[in-house]
Parts: sequence; structure tokens; C-alpha cells
Amino acid sequence: MRPLDEKETTLVFDKLHKFVGNNLQKIVMENPSHEGPDLNPGRYCFRLQKNRVYYVSESLVKRATNIKREKLVSMGTQIGKFTKSDKFHLTIQGLNLLAASAKHKVWLKPTSEMSFLYGNRVLKGGVGRITENILVNDGVVVYSMADVPLGFGVAAKSTQDCRKMDPNGIVVHHLADIGEYLRMEDEL
Amino acid sequence: MAQSEFEIDLGNLMAFDLHRQFPSTFSSREELVKEAIEQGTKLVQAVADALFNKPSTEELDGPIVKLPAPTTKLPREKPLPKPRPPTKWELFAQKKGIDKHKKDKLAFDEQTGTWKRRHGYDRVNDDKDIPIIEAKMTDEPGTDPFAERRKEKKSRVEKQEKNRLLNLKQAAKVGALPSHVQLAATALPITGTQARPQKVGKTELQNVAGMASTATASGGKFDKKLPGEKPPKHEKKYRKFLPAVEGSGMGALEKQQTEKVLNKLISKNSHDVLNVEKAVNMYNVKKEKKRRNNEGKPSTRSKLKPNKKSLKKTSKRVSSSKGKQAQQYEILYTKFCPLRPPLPSLLSSASFYIEGRREGTKRAEKRRKGDIFLEKFKF
Repeated sequence: MRPLDEKETTLVFDKLHKFVGNNLQKIVMENPSHEGPDLNPGRYCFRLQKNRVYYVSESLVKRATNIKREKLVSMGTQIGKFTKSDKFHLTIQGLNLLAASAKHKVWLKPTSEMSFLYGNRVLKGGVGRITENILVNDGVVVYSMADVPLGFGVAAKSTQDCRKMDPNGIVVHHLADIGEYLRMEDEL
Repeated sequence: MAQSEFEIDLGNLMAFDLHRQFPSTFSSREELVKEAIEQGTKLVQAVADALFNKPSTEELDGPIVKLPAPTTKLPREKPLPKPRPPTKWELFAQKKGIDKHKKDKLAFDEQTGTWKRRHGYDRVNDDKDIPIIEAKMTDEPGTDPFAERRKEKKSRVEKQEKNRLLNLKQAAKVGALPSHVQLAATALPITGTQARPQKVGKTELQNVAGMASTATASGGKFDKKLPGEKPPKHEKKYRKFLPAVEGSGMGALEKQQTEKVLNKLISKNSHDVLNVEKAVNMYNVKKEKKRRNNEGKPSTRSKLKPNKKSLKKTSKRVSSSKGKQAQQYEILYTKFCPLRPPLPSLLSSASFYIEGRREGTKRAEKRRKGDIFLEKFKF
């Protein structure tokens, strides 16, 4: 376990910023944590263990140092992984963190929920609601009509273009969905 | 000039005034300088006269004169070399009274009966030319006499080399090394200088050897080590990271780093703190709803907008033109003063339903107009 390098921090923050915008400040610096048995658990920080990035509270970090590096599997919430060529990808376990402070949201109709959960992209015909001023390549969190976060992805079109599109056009490219907990149990 | 005779040394391009008389006292420095220049010009003129009187050859660059050898002797730059101390053989020869005799280049070879050269190719008493060596009583069986001869010659050569070096050492002690040896031996100081030869220390040598070994392809890991040489030292760590836990959780360094990165990111994206498109769109949506209310249709507001909005709308309807202007000013104000925080009620809940379009309706027309309005604001 080690804290992130400066380059790694920039990569992680860039990715998070796409989804969360200026709420990043709150997530990184000011979020009081609710984990850990201490009286003041302190804030959250990011730690790297075997190419996975975890969002852990400080009290847990202190305790995790008691575990051998090889034996430590996971701590806190995993938000993403670094690939072999040092690129950062967000994983589905970070969904709660993103959903709590997402800037751009898309709500899916009940008919197309299952399609998204199987890993397909979001077509315009499946979109129930969409927030304003989404630009291309923005991070988007996908919800069901009951405001249950289903996953996240990258916007393929801006909101205005979205309006003018035909119903079979792609709106959101799929990045991660909660169906992955069943499909890719081994790889998480 | 009859008055003064100048001695002219053309080899060094010099002229001397033998009968120079200088008044000892001068009233001022300028006068002294003037007098000196006058005398000097006369001398230079004499040199030039002599030069141009010489026979010249025409070349590409102009007439060329060959200067004679210089007549004035210049002093030595370096001190005279010290005489060499006599070598061991020279001392022995002096004692014994042995004289040196010059040897001829050619010598008579008994074996072939011809005159052969003394040294070099096809020489007089070469080892190669001996076909047969007779065995003596003192010889052991199994020894090779030719190999013996070669060994003896080798030992003689080695002895000679040793003696030569000893002689040189003797000369070096006095300080009379021959110059080519002096230059070749870089550890020795050049004659005339005071520098003492410095010995390199053990640790220095080790460090330098380690540094030099990293220049190899594999970084010096597989170099053959001399006996007694230690493997080169290096830090175990190749990369430095911040400590995992400092104090309790995040340390000051880590906080600094995250803050720095965060600020960079935010400043990069700060120009879209206010989204003008969004503000304009908001205005259009409001306008649409007003029109809809005017036409008497049930307003399909977004569920997220609080009810008191309708009250505001009625008040605005009364002073509609003023309200529009105010709204326009509001938009412009926010456009040019991006530091004003965005109105939370508008931004957090701005969303609209995508419904089935009926392109022929007035609403669609309004939407199209809105799109055109938006196009203007796109940047």
C-alpha cells in the first residue's frame, strides 16, 4: 500500500473530475468519513495497492499498515485500477461515490434498463431523462427511473445533439454497470 | 642616416639604436611619450627600408621576402637540462678502462661465408639459422636445446630491460630524465614545475571504479572483479514514495500534493463555472412556459421545480417587459462576472422531459427558435 504519485494523482483526479466536476474538492479534501471505529475517523484518502486505487478513511489506513503487503487484499472502497500502461480506469465499485456527487445524469426507461445491465450502450430510445449541458466525452452516471444508480459511462453526444438524433443513436457509451458484479465476479 | 647607426636584425624584425641618447629628465609624461614615439618611428622606418631593399618574389598575395636567420640570441625559456648520471655499465666501463668502439653494419657470417648485416632481417648470428646443436655430457636427456637457447635469450632481454629501468630511476632521482620519457610518464611532474605527484586514495578509487563500471551495457553488474574489489554500492530503493501513513492517516506532504493537483485541475476547468448556454436555455424554457400559461394549457412543469415559482411568474407577467429586460440583464451580468455563484435552484434541477415531438405545433416552433438562439451563444 502506498499513497499515489503526483502523476498518478493527476490521472485519478482527471477521471473523477469528468464525472463529478467541482465537487471533486469535497470528495478529496473535506468529506468526513464514517468508516472505522475511531471517534474521529478523519477524512478520506487514496491509496494504491497492486495497481488498484482505494478510497479509504484515514483511520482504516492506519490499521491496514499492520497487514503484510502481500496479504492485503482490499481496504475501503475500490474506485479504479491502473492498467499495465499506466492508464487509469474507473471500476464499478466506485459507483456510490460517483452517484452521490455526479454532475451529469441519465435516467433510463424501464424497457432499456436490462439492456444496459447486460453491458450494452444506451440508445436514445431508452433515455427517459437527461441533464442539460452535457458535452461530448463527459462522464455520465446512469440511473433507473426510480433513481437507483445502475452504472456509468461516457457521453457520446451533447444534450442538444441528443434531441435531434434518431431513436437508435448511441447516447452513452458503457463503462461500468452493476451487472458486472454477476458477470465479472472474478475480474473485479 | 649618418647620425645614428641602427643595428637591424631582420630575422627578428628588430632594429637597435646603438648611440641612443635620452635626456634624463623630462618635464612631463607627454613629452617623454612624444620623444619615445619619435625615436621609435625612425627605427621602424629603418626596418621597413631594409625589408623593401631585399629581393622579393611575386606570389598571389603580393611580394614575399625571405628573412635571413636572426642574429640576436634570445634567452632560454626553460632551464638547461641536467646532465645524465652515468649508467651502471658506464661506471663499470670507466673503472675497467673499456672503450667504446663503433661497430660496422655488415659482419662476416662464418656459416654461409657471406657478409650479412649485423641486426635485422637475415642477420649474422641468428638463432633460427642453427641447424644442429651437438649434445654435451652435461645435458640431460629430454631437454630441448633450442628451447633452452630461447629461454636464455629471453632472460637476457629481461635483465637488460631491468637494468635500463634502474638507470632511468637513477636519472629521475637527480632530475635528469630524458624528455621523451618525462612526457610519457604522466604521473611525473614536468621539469620546472613544483607540482608533487598525488596518490589517489582507496575510497576515491573505489568510487571512481564504481562510476566507471556503470558505463557498461549491463551497468557493471557482470564485470569481472579484481581480487579485493568490493561490489559497487547502490541504494536499494530506486523510486521514492510518500509515506503510507504519517501521523494518523494523511500527512502534510500528501495533503500538499493533493491540493496542488486539485488546484491545477480546477483552474484548468474554471472557465466553465458559468455555462452561458445553460443560462440561456433556462431563459428559453421559462419563456416557453410563460407562453404556455398564457395560452391556457396546463403547464407541464418539471416536478422538481417548487411551487412558488408560479407566483413569481404572475408577478413577472405584470411587468413582463421590464422582467424580460431584467432577465436579459441578469444573463449578461452573469456572463461577464463569472465569479457570481450560479443560482442553485436553476442549475441543480434543470432537466426536461423528452416527449414525443409534433413538429407542426407552436411549441416546436418555439423550440426551434430557441435552438437558433442557442446557436448564437455557442462558442
